[in-house]
Amino acid sequence: MNDETFLNERIEVIASFGEGLNPCRPVRFRRTNGRVINITEIGLRHPDNQGLRTVHIFDVTDDGADYRIEFDSERLTWRLTREMDHYEPVV
Amino acid sequence: MIMHIDLNSCFATVEQQARPMLRNRPVVIVNRRTEHTMIVTASYEAKALGVTMGMSVKEARKLAPGLVALESDPPKYQFVYHKLMDIMKRYSAHITMKSIDEGVIDFNQTTDAIKSRNLVDIGYEIKKSLLEEIGKYMKCNVGIGTNRFLAKTAAGLHKPDGLDVITHENLRDTLATLKLTELTGIAGRNEARLNKVGIYTSIEFLDADPVTLQKIVFKSVVGEQWHRRLRGWEVDDVSHDIKTIGRQYVLEAFDLSRTQVLQRLHHLCESVGHRLRSQNKAARGVLVTAKSRSQGHWHARRMCALPFFSNQAIYAQASMLFSQAPDDIIKISITCYELEDSMGDQLSLFGDQLASEQYVTDAIDEINKRFGDRTIHAADTLGTGIYVKQKVPFGSTRYL
Repeated sequence: MNDETFLNERIEVIASFGEGLNPCRPVRFRRTNGRVINITEIGLRHPDNQGLRTVHIFDVTDDGADYRIEFDSERLTWRLTREMDHYEPVV
Repeated sequence: MIMHIDLNSCFATVEQQARPMLRNRPVVIVNRRTEHTMIVTASYEAKALGVTMGMSVKEARKLAPGLVALESDPPKYQFVYHKLMDIMKRYSAHITMKSIDEGVIDFNQTTDAIKSRNLVDIGYEIKKSLLEEIGKYMKCNVGIGTNRFLAKTAAGLHKPDGLDVITHENLRDTLATLKLTELTGIAGRNEARLNKVGIYTSIEFLDADPVTLQKIVFKSVVGEQWHRRLRGWEVDDVSHDIKTIGRQYVLEAFDLSRTQVLQRLHHLCESVGHRLRSQNKAARGVLVTAKSRSQGHWHARRMCALPFFSNQAIYAQASMLFSQAPDDIIKISITCYELEDSMGDQLSLFGDQLASEQYVTDAIDEINKRFGDRTIHAADTLGTGIYVKQKVPFGSTRYL
């Protein structure tokens, strides 16, 4: 039933801040085990308001698995909160 | 003219947009992570294999091997809802969101610059904006008509990702392709009423005499409204006041003790109280219902002389009513009714106790708004939050 693993892992992220509708774009992140994930697509970015604090949620993929990473705009921290199962691509 | 915009299989499409690895595969959205829960939305790939809304995940897996079932994620859908609303507002100040995944733009009251444009071009522009501003997997159906009914009908003609226009020129041809029950508002009971007077097709319905519809079929002004609606006159541009505010919950296990059920009822009361105050309303009536495995449906209600608004007052009424409820409960609900505008500062006229209740409630609401939902809540609902979660409100967009 559940194809997601719930995590709460501090990660290091390289992100670009540019112009346009989605100015903040995470490019790659390093997990606590040292593994580096190169983001190939940001599926969706949406805010989650936790009181007056806004956490920006990025659903991303590296073409091997989908991940959810969250940017806390108050604490300026990134966390990996979900890792999804791998599926073979459907052509 | 009216434009109806409908996001296709909204929640499933949003999940497929968010998670690229789920694209082109059967996906369903459920409200709870169990095999017996009902499906809320199915992706087009799942629908193609016969999966429908309301089916259990277990049944769906038999039809669609490899089906992925995901728990609903309301903040994600609310974000898309607000994005869609922002896009629609670029074309008219008169927009109405019919639900979390569909809305209506009224072009009759917009600027001349917009009125002079071709609506089909605007429809394609909206589709393009969705792709650019939310994501490349987002699809929507656009329907254009002279009234809300025909615009919605047009939006349903070619799913997914269609764009259709119904005018006086193609009205008959379009209705000829639709069964009676494919018309919004005509389901089993209305179909039976129409069949009784020999109306079996949409074209026969269109050609029906208004007096027959009013005096014999619907026996009210509804018949005249249908006559006008089918011809493209606007009869549905009406807003409805809130009559009730409530929530229901199917228990996560059917062997809970009475105290545990009461804790979940308390959680629902807090949630309903929050919704009530968010609409600046107070209630005078409370209805508590329960479904018991052994004794079927049960309900009890109570009306009060003075309006109430606090979680504490709602729970006091509800728990008293619930003391008469049967055992073996599998589902509970609470509804506040006889709503009236909140009296705010005037409450002090009724004495210090009511005024202090108002101040405490305001303070709690303010803290919860600042630090997040349920920062302060009743002690006996401490462990209920993981079960009684906030889910997607269907139909109403008041709380989005």
